Amino acid sequence: MSPQDERKKSATDKLRAYHEEETIARGYDLQYVRRLWPYLRPHTSYVVLSLITLGVLTAIGLIRPLVMGDVVTQAARQNGDLLFRDGVALAGLLLATQVLTFVQMYTMQLAGARAMAALRTDIFGFMQRLSLRYFDHTPIGRLVTRATNDVDAIGEIFATGVINALGDLVALIGIVVMMLALDWRMSLIAFATIPVVALLVNMTRHRSRKAYRDIRVKTARLNAFLNEQVSGIAIVQAFNREESMGREFGEINEAYREANKRAIFYEAVLDAAIEMVGTLCIASVLYWAGLERLMLSLGDGHVSFALVVTFTQYIKQFFEPISMLAQRYTLLQSGLSGAERIFELLDEKEIESPHAQPIAAPSHVPADEAIAFEDVSFEYKANAPVLSNVSFSAERGEHIAIVGATGAGKSTVASLLLRLYDASSGSIRVLGKDVRAYELSELRRLFSVVPQDVFLFRGSVASNVAMSHRVVDAARVAWALERVGAIDMVLRREGGLNAPVDERGSNFSAGERQLLAFARALYKDAPLLLLDEATASIDSDTEAKLQNALEALIEKRTAIVIAHRLSTIQAADRIIVFHKGRLVESGTHQQLLEQGGVYARLYKLQFAQKHVEEATAQESL
Amino acid sequence: MMHDSAPLGGITLWGQFRRHVWVYAAGFVVLALFQLAMNRIDWLSKAAVDAIFSKDPRSGWEPATGIFALAIFAFGARLASRRFIFNAGRDIEYQLRATMLAHLHRLGAAFYRTMSAGEIMSRATNDLTQVRLLFGFGILNLVNVIFAFASALQVMLVISAKLALASLVNLPILVVVTRRLSQQMFARNRDNQDAIGKLSAIVQANLSGVRVVRSFALEEHEAERFEVGNKYYLDASLALARVRGSLGPAMGAASALGVLVFFWYGSALLLKGVDNGGISKGDFFAFWLALGRMTWPMVALGFSLSMVQRGRAGFSRLLDVFTATPEIVDGTERAPSRVVGALRVRDLSFKYGSRLVVDNVSFDVEPGQSLAIVGKTGAGKSTLAMLLARLLPTPKGAVSIDGRDVCSLPLSFVRSVIGYAQQDAFLFSTTVARNIGLALNDAESPEAFTQICDAATGAQVLDEIATLPEQFETVVGERGVQLSGGQKQRVALARSLLWGPKILILDDPMSAVDTKTEAQILRAIAREAKKRTVVLITHRIAAAARCDAIVVMDNGAIVERGKHQDLVRGGGLYASLAEEQQMARELEELDDVAAISAPAPALLDEGPR
Repeated sequence: MSPQDERKKSATDKLRAYHEEETIARGYDLQYVRRLWPYLRPHTSYVVLSLITLGVLTAIGLIRPLVMGDVVTQAARQNGDLLFRDGVALAGLLLATQVLTFVQMYTMQLAGARAMAALRTDIFGFMQRLSLRYFDHTPIGRLVTRATNDVDAIGEIFATGVINALGDLVALIGIVVMMLALDWRMSLIAFATIPVVALLVNMTRHRSRKAYRDIRVKTARLNAFLNEQVSGIAIVQAFNREESMGREFGEINEAYREANKRAIFYEAVLDAAIEMVGTLCIASVLYWAGLERLMLSLGDGHVSFALVVTFTQYIKQFFEPISMLAQRYTLLQSGLSGAERIFELLDEKEIESPHAQPIAAPSHVPADEAIAFEDVSFEYKANAPVLSNVSFSAERGEHIAIVGATGAGKSTVASLLLRLYDASSGSIRVLGKDVRAYELSELRRLFSVVPQDVFLFRGSVASNVAMSHRVVDAARVAWALERVGAIDMVLRREGGLNAPVDERGSNFSAGERQLLAFARALYKDAPLLLLDEATASIDSDTEAKLQNALEALIEKRTAIVIAHRLSTIQAADRIIVFHKGRLVESGTHQQLLEQGGVYARLYKLQFAQKHVEEATAQESL
Repeated sequence: MMHDSAPLGGITLWGQFRRHVWVYAAGFVVLALFQLAMNRIDWLSKAAVDAIFSKDPRSGWEPATGIFALAIFAFGARLASRRFIFNAGRDIEYQLRATMLAHLHRLGAAFYRTMSAGEIMSRATNDLTQVRLLFGFGILNLVNVIFAFASALQVMLVISAKLALASLVNLPILVVVTRRLSQQMFARNRDNQDAIGKLSAIVQANLSGVRVVRSFALEEHEAERFEVGNKYYLDASLALARVRGSLGPAMGAASALGVLVFFWYGSALLLKGVDNGGISKGDFFAFWLALGRMTWPMVALGFSLSMVQRGRAGFSRLLDVFTATPEIVDGTERAPSRVVGALRVRDLSFKYGSRLVVDNVSFDVEPGQSLAIVGKTGAGKSTLAMLLARLLPTPKGAVSIDGRDVCSLPLSFVRSVIGYAQQDAFLFSTTVARNIGLALNDAESPEAFTQICDAATGAQVLDEIATLPEQFETVVGERGVQLSGGQKQRVALARSLLWGPKILILDDPMSAVDTKTEAQILRAIAREAKKRTVVLITHRIAAAARCDAIVVMDNGAIVERGKHQDLVRGGGLYASLAEEQQMARELEELDDVAAISAPAPALLDEGPR
């Protein structure tokens, strides 16, 4: 293989592994039934009612053919009264069947739908606890499927009465028993053709399951791709990639279609086979009846027409549920596949540990320590350290500026403080306590965050600014916006404070989004402020506005500003310099000056520049 | 790709059916054969039963054998019918999905503001599934019902017209019940689909914003939002269940009536005997089989109708997308064969709703020249840039390439000539190589690789790509999450550099980059600028200074223009920006110089720069 082909193959393989989840080939399905039970348990009364009704329905089903046979017998004996009684009984049975069917189905569905709602809540809640590392390597489309489509697949089990399969099974056994009791030889002949069908069913069952698993995988890939096309539509259009993306999508679309066609085939074989067997059984009964009648004419055998009628009805009642059984089985399979994926997600270990861990308070911590990093190292992937042995601390009310080249590890400091990720080694303290010793939510409430990539939810300006609180205080929103100098920009828009914010804030420019994020941080008013290169893409004018607001904001609190604009850094109490994941220079403005290092020189030059300007200005007066 | 304004007219349910009419015809033929076989089986049963209870029971064996053979034939016919019809359903689904993406590609920002990603996805998945069920199972059952009815009715009428009439007295009831319930189902279905769509959207938004949710401890708040959607869905699905649940029993009761009548009246006729105008045992048996064959399709009719309703509901939601008119369309003139790259903008204005975002902007950029657009946040620079590339609806006569109005030219041509690289660096979930090589048709050829490397070098990101676990083959996570902000931006820039349209518009491509790296990138852009026209939107004066001309925007209008030196001397907006940044840049440059010349303090122990 040429290196180019190798590269292509390797790329395709990697992409496939990333996008298509492993087709999990597990044999045991019943564990999922067990795990679904807790969701069903609160609705046990409905389930019980449903099962009782099912029992009654089954009993009625067993009696019905006997009554039908009796009708024919009474007709033959010309017994009008008994015929009438049988007729009424039959009518009653048929009516009862329909009413009870509704009750049975609806109660089961009630239980099922409520159980699924609870499952959905749990899944969503669980996803709020997945660690960020998990999201780094899992496409969102896949996760959305878990909470919606996969749960629906399980729900279908209840909606279409797959649980009825149990009742059907009991009915089947009952029928066999009744038939054997009535005429065991005819019964055996009737069931002679069943082994053939059982064989056919077995052959297709395995292939059908595989086809269904395949479909699930391809569905996820399809949805993930489509999702991205929608999210990145501007790029697709700008680059004229509509056609090539369409082609790529076509391939995925086709693979999905073919997987489904395979499943269709196996299902169809199953379905037609069962239909055929019913007829073959009736034919067998007729053969046998013929033989018996022959014997009768020879003085032996005892087959009556009534018996033939009864047997035929039993056979019909036998095969109706069996054909439904095949359908229900496939629904059960796809439901269980869904359950498999859901529980695979719920078993995910990459979750945040939200509870406070019992970590002994370190020996001596300065009383007014706000933040401390002690010999912290961190890596996203093995052998690619992002931070190495970083140590620094900040006092309450201190304003720290962290500077360094992009990718030097500055943003990671914020992630570690918020415990979005856990440090590989070393310890981190916030307000004197180890970050792991906090309840996660408690820890995060201590911070007002202005992140690098501002994310706005679909809603209004006010709801986005007041995001951290349930009740939106409009006056406070306005105040926050004014402080950051964004009030004009907002009021200029249609709706003012309630101006709509589109998905991801796409109707605001990057600079405007920054300002909103700033207002949001101000609104929250937490004791610690984390600013991550927030001023990077705002012009100097707006930046100046923010500078003022920033100064007011940090007056009362501790601030960590991660930036690389000298103007913002200037305002800091202390500056920390990162380079390739290590802390190389640190100190207060004064200390760094006295150090006579890099920072000292920078400051002197600026000071000299200003001095020259002032002198020039004075001269020209 | 053709960008016309037609809102995909003619996508109708019937149209989809027509496209596959031959496959459906084959399916229907086979279905008819199936029902014909069943009809024959009924008659053979009559013959068998009559024979069995006659003087010569052995004569019953021949018809019984016939039944055997026909049952096997019926197996094949039934299998074939499903294959034909279900496969057609899948083909339609495939085509509709492909069409949907193709149409989404043609729609502009205005549409995407009205429909969230979650709602679009719900249509492409749930609603499309309902449509497919309609075209598969729905149609199969409906046609099967017709044939089953016909084949069974034939048996019944021939045996005893009176008995047939009596047993089918429930039909009108069946029809009325069906109609009422199916109408209710249509409404409940729509509600159900709505609810699923909304729930999907909530989950989607939550997962996309996971960093924010965690950083701001919004988990509870989000859980509440979810519960609202969850409850809404629960209620909708239970309302649907009530209607769906009644359908089966209602139809079951109606058809049970028929069975009841048959047993009563039928046994009375059996009593009479054939000679007295009644029926034989064989007749009774065959009639019973035929009636039975009719019962299940009648009940299934209910399900099929619900499928049709759901399919129609789903289809109407699909039409929400299909009928959206692309607001940005091809012009009528042919694309010129040669492009020099002269850009002319005259009196360009644009409003978002009632807000004037771009206000009477005019400027020229000669081929091979570069223009910088500088301005405050919210000044309208990005909107202007998108208008140039016709990613927003550009007014006629405002923008021209080589003297030709962009609105009169084919859209794909305009976009291939005017390339817009957006502010928000969006990367696809694929390898770094494929992201950078997005503009290429074959990102894996050796030439492509060279180009990709060159572009990466130009964007100053080559070294960092080399440190990634699989270098260029590293799969970048959803929205390029695994890369840092600066890396993402530079990969996106490499993508633009490789693309190299005649007129390249770069929207703030270096905001997350430090000034040292910026200088290197600017050199690469300068090399690009020699070969093409470049419009650079930036805050950084250093970048703007390298351009041949500069315009300064404020509140959507151009307030200053000229060359760098002139503007600096002019003492206006630009000049003040320049001063501030000049100092910052000089200081940062000095930082490096100082580090090299001064004795390195103990902490700085990396290798030579």
